[in-house]
Amino acid sequence: MIVCVAVVGHQNNPLYIQSFTEAEDALKLHHIVHCSLDVIDERVNNPSKSGTTMNEAFLGLLYPALNYKVYGYLTNTKVKFIMVTSDLDVRDTDVRSFFRKFHAAYVDAVSNPFHVPGKKITSRTFSESVTNIVSSYSFN
Amino acid sequence: MVEPVNSSLGKMLLEEVSPVVMVLCTPLVEETFLKNGLSFVETLKPFCNFSNIDVPVRTSGDQLYRLKKFTLRLFNAADIRQPNVEVAKQRLEHVITQAGEKVFHDLESDPPQITDILSNSESEIAPTWFQYYNKELIRTLSFSDHEAFDHPVACLLVVSSKDEDPLNKFVDLFNTNRLPSLLNDGVMDPKILKHFLLVHDNQDATTERLTSKVLSEMRSTFGNNECNLLCTNSSKEGNVEHQANPWASFKSSVPAEKLGCALTGDDIGEIKELMQEFASRHIIPYMEQKVRDLNQQISATRKGLRNQIKNLWWRKGKDDIPDSTKGSIYTFSSTESQIRILGDYAFMLHDYELALSSYRLISTDYKLDKAWKHYAGVQEMMGLAYFISDQSIKEAEYCMENASSTYMKLGKSGFQNATRCGLWWAEMLKARDQYKEAASVYFRICGEEPLHAAVMLEQASYCFVLTKPAMLHKYGFHLVLSGDHYKICDQVNHAIRTYRSAISVYESTTWSHIKDHVYFHIGQWYAIVGMNDVAVRNMLRVLDCGNQSKSTQEIFLRDFFDIVKKTGMKHEVVGLRLPIISMSSLQVIYEDHRTYASQASALVEESIWQSLEDDIIPSLNSGKSNWLELQSKLLPKKYKESNVCVVGESVKLDMEFRNPLLISTSVTSVSLICELTENSDDLKLEKETSSLSLGTEHNQVTTSGFSSFTLSEVDFTLGGGEKKLVRLTVTPSEEGILKIVGVRWELSGSIVGVHYFQSVPTKAKTNKAKRKNKLTPTDALKFLVIKSLPRLEGSVDHLPDKLYAGDLRYLVLELKNNSESPIKNLKMKISHPRFVNPESHEEELTPGFPDCLKKGPEQNTVQRETSRTSVFAFPKDVSLQGDRSLRWPLWLRAAIPGTISLYFTIYYEMENVSSIMKYRTLRMHYSLQVLPSLETSFEITPSPSRLQEFLVRMDIVNRANSDSFEIHQLSTVGCRWGISLLQPVDTILPSKSILPGQGLSCFFMIKDCRKPGTEEEKTTSILPSQTDIKLITQDDDEKLFDIVNSPLASFHESERSCHGTSDQLSPNTVDFILISRLAKSSNPSAEQDLPKILSHHSCHNRIRSSIPLSWSLDGPKTMYHDFSTSFCEIKLKMVIRNTSDGFLSVSINTIDGLPDAAAPTPSSGNLSGWRYVPAITEEMKLTSDVMGSRLGKPPPSMESSPPFIWSGSSSTKVQIQPLSRTEIPLQISVFSPGVYNLCSYTLTWELSEHENALSSTSSGICQGYPCYLTVLQSE
Repeated sequence: MIVCVAVVGHQNNPLYIQSFTEAEDALKLHHIVHCSLDVIDERVNNPSKSGTTMNEAFLGLLYPALNYKVYGYLTNTKVKFIMVTSDLDVRDTDVRSFFRKFHAAYVDAVSNPFHVPGKKITSRTFSESVTNIVSSYSFN
Repeated sequence: MVEPVNSSLGKMLLEEVSPVVMVLCTPLVEETFLKNGLSFVETLKPFCNFSNIDVPVRTSGDQLYRLKKFTLRLFNAADIRQPNVEVAKQRLEHVITQAGEKVFHDLESDPPQITDILSNSESEIAPTWFQYYNKELIRTLSFSDHEAFDHPVACLLVVSSKDEDPLNKFVDLFNTNRLPSLLNDGVMDPKILKHFLLVHDNQDATTERLTSKVLSEMRSTFGNNECNLLCTNSSKEGNVEHQANPWASFKSSVPAEKLGCALTGDDIGEIKELMQEFASRHIIPYMEQKVRDLNQQISATRKGLRNQIKNLWWRKGKDDIPDSTKGSIYTFSSTESQIRILGDYAFMLHDYELALSSYRLISTDYKLDKAWKHYAGVQEMMGLAYFISDQSIKEAEYCMENASSTYMKLGKSGFQNATRCGLWWAEMLKARDQYKEAASVYFRICGEEPLHAAVMLEQASYCFVLTKPAMLHKYGFHLVLSGDHYKICDQVNHAIRTYRSAISVYESTTWSHIKDHVYFHIGQWYAIVGMNDVAVRNMLRVLDCGNQSKSTQEIFLRDFFDIVKKTGMKHEVVGLRLPIISMSSLQVIYEDHRTYASQASALVEESIWQSLEDDIIPSLNSGKSNWLELQSKLLPKKYKESNVCVVGESVKLDMEFRNPLLISTSVTSVSLICELTENSDDLKLEKETSSLSLGTEHNQVTTSGFSSFTLSEVDFTLGGGEKKLVRLTVTPSEEGILKIVGVRWELSGSIVGVHYFQSVPTKAKTNKAKRKNKLTPTDALKFLVIKSLPRLEGSVDHLPDKLYAGDLRYLVLELKNNSESPIKNLKMKISHPRFVNPESHEEELTPGFPDCLKKGPEQNTVQRETSRTSVFAFPKDVSLQGDRSLRWPLWLRAAIPGTISLYFTIYYEMENVSSIMKYRTLRMHYSLQVLPSLETSFEITPSPSRLQEFLVRMDIVNRANSDSFEIHQLSTVGCRWGISLLQPVDTILPSKSILPGQGLSCFFMIKDCRKPGTEEEKTTSILPSQTDIKLITQDDDEKLFDIVNSPLASFHESERSCHGTSDQLSPNTVDFILISRLAKSSNPSAEQDLPKILSHHSCHNRIRSSIPLSWSLDGPKTMYHDFSTSFCEIKLKMVIRNTSDGFLSVSINTIDGLPDAAAPTPSSGNLSGWRYVPAITEEMKLTSDVMGSRLGKPPPSMESSPPFIWSGSSSTKVQIQPLSRTEIPLQISVFSPGVYNLCSYTLTWELSEHENALSSTSSGICQGYPCYLTVLQSE
């Protein structure tokens, strides 16, 4: 189950963060997402280490936390997508396709002429479509 | 990268992995040394570290090498045992608590900046007590049974010279019963090097001789080399002070100057020498020897292929032995232990090659034996040996990892070992600059115990800072985690310390969720340790927590106010974020020469007023030389830039407060912060009294009565997410420069928020947009306060806000001047002269409205002068002063439906008051909603028979939604047109009122009363009553409204000027005024606001017809002629009138012959010929089709009509100019008496736009009218 998705701007400012758990662990998930930014920075700065090719947006598994796995994705505009899942057995292809759909939804949201780039995404349509995407991926 | 030996791990290993010396001493020895505040072991400790011992060593190989650094560890025999876990834990906790107390005083300072953290080196970032803590942590694991480096290498037996029978004491001391259990139960080798020491106390002089005797006895008994004498406490007084006290760093609980007070420099030198000798002459050679022995022994049993196979086979056989006894299967004498000892000794003698080979040998054995703890211990040592000998990094890491995970596998019992292993491992990684890996090692050894975890997490966080590039996000996260753990074990000081550092990470980010958490908790914790003001400072940051859930916000606020209450004082906080002030909403409303009657008028855009006031205000820019130029010279330039306000008149500031929270907050005592500077030197011009320059005196805000200004205070409550526009005012009471600096408010009565406007860049938008463009916002809030001036107040009484189109009202403009100085030269301009019309005299209406509009008994036909200028100047003698008020009548007529903004601006001048301001304007703004009412349209067609008369069709539609109207009167304007009814009034409007949506048409006749011959505007005076018709039946006594004298006339003028596009006074247009009123019963509720009369004006109605011409045939009606003499010639005249705008050419064709043959006008039926001519009435001429229907059957015509012939030219063609007429003479000849119908002619017309144009726009043929001529035989 995906427990959290986040969009982080290129200055590491949160643009959108949404958790999908009932429990009151928003703070924890915020911290996890916040921490994973370090890993993304590291990956991006040392592309040779990560094993992925330069021009791929999908950054793969960022780090396994205690009960979660954190995956990352970097768009061409240096906007980061971060997904936290509680499934410990996840196939990369699934995550890849998840991020592709998520990216499409993001592009739709920021194409709105009323959206201010670099500001938080407040679109209700975006959060609806994200919820839909998330609920369609259970990975198991 | 530092050399491994010099790294912190290297130093640590030198200290921790070093030979242990067991000390056995008698109580009298301890007593001797306690005089110095130290135990015996403690006294010796500082002298056990040798930085340059320089001893040659040869271990297994033939190569000699020299030991440089060497350390001995001294332990009392009683301490040589595994420490109690609980005690150890308490000791660690004590260390942390102590450190926490030390940091307490730092907590008040501001948190460190992230850039500072990054620029610091490791030792500056991490607190120093970490090293101490780590050392203590490692020490809790000493004397474990699976390692050999804690095995005592030597034993120091100490006896005091005061002891009775010292020699026996020596023997007693090494009695096995008193030895540590570890030596007795076979874990450690009890056969160790023994050294004997006799202690002599110099303060105790009596025993001196005895001492030397005992020493010689000792030497003879135990051997010359193994015995030493230590003379101590040479200082008799016991007050020696040591400059660099060697014990200070080892024992901190006692003041440093007390330590070693009885020891002179000689004593210390003696101790030093003793230890040096002990180490170099006894311990190192002993260890050397032991290593060589063990090496030989092991080579014999274990090295070589044969031994290997044998060993393997032998181990196989041991597989059956269960693992449970693994702790005790190896005694010191077992081969495995021997190898381990060999390795450890070699390690301690810095022969890492030998150590490694031994460890390697033993580790496979342990592995095969599944003695995991031993295995892990060996792996650990291997890793360290690899590291310190600067060999393969990979191997070292592999070994450490292996050791760590093996310890972990052992479960709880192995965890402590894993921790030590982890600490070493982390140090190893740090030494190699692999900080990130080190951090993950620290993270691994967190464990479940919160305090331990907290320390480890904190150490991990510092590693993240030190990685290149720094991983600040993780740094922050680990600090927060660590802080939480500290808090769990009540180490609040440490918790605050970690969170403070974490703030530096989150401070500048927008991760508000995390930020709020950090600030809130650090605030809470500061409150716990009693630093409430710092707590408040931190808590302030979370007040703007709009993104949190409601319950969280409530908790935040509740705790915040609790803490604020605890501090017991009102904090003044600059930039409090609750509520949020929206600077873009800031509006300054002030009055300089522009004054406003109401709030609404102040908000109207300045440009509207300016365009309105253009012609009444003397322009500042005009180049004319007038009194204004004088003024601009007098006015210093700086004042022109700043705004002007007047003493006693308030400056208003509108701003919006927004509550970012979901819970409601009460905001009280909101007021402005202002400064009034008295600028006496600059204002000397008009303020002679203050000629003594007092400099500038500041008048900071106070609410006391002495203040030079008064402020308004506002209290309000903001609901969740609510926005409120608040108006604040400041009223200066002295002249000077007034600056509005900021705003302050009280939140829930406990905290004062202050917001300074200067800090906000730009965007102070005011309604004085035009003037503010070039001013900075600070300037916009700066006012030049001038001496008090008269200020006119005005209002329009009884102005309805909703009325019907056409509604005519009588209003009163009330002007009031409260000050004593008079004002003069009043002028008024109204934006909609169509709507409002001031009366020319100040007079009360005597008969009341609307009766005053009705015609009185005496007819006053004096034409009102209708000079329509847009500016209304009050009479010169009007001047206002004191409490007098001026009531000026105004007429209001709602001209067109819609929402109308009415702007009044009244200009007035003050007398001899100020040079800065000579005049002021009062601006009033009212908005009206005008509803549609009756709509009229008129159609005028020429009468078919009479040139001067016209038929008028009036269509009325009631466009109102609910109300019905009665029509009262229809009038034509001017003296030219007389109007008369065609039908009785009752038939026009049987129901008396026009219901909503109802339409109605009725007909009237108008008559041009102008003399036909004269084209000049010389009208015959007709009776005025002819221009009006009453359209109401029931009240016969009701008089008609006078449209000439009443304001209706002036309104009509404005209507005319509005409708007339080009003011070509076309003479052939008719203006109508229809006066109606609201039907009586339609709306009884709103009695007071009922419209009394409504007037509907219709201007420039053209006479319209289908053909562009009208004509008439004039001549005698009846002729007497003697036919006996001759035939009768009759002269006729045809008048043709061009009613169109174009040029008309008409040709008249007369037709002789049978009139029957000539086609009559089809509409009028067959009317030709002789017939009865009825009396011509106006009804008859109503319309042709009416007549047609009435006279369907023509009267019987004559048998034969006597012929007549047109005797003039049979065809005449004329050109007629637009809207003019021409006369054509015609002649007929009649041969016999009779009645003749002179209709046998046609008019062929062509209309063209231009004179002599070839192309005609339209053309047509008209048949002649029936026109009867009676010719009688004269007698």
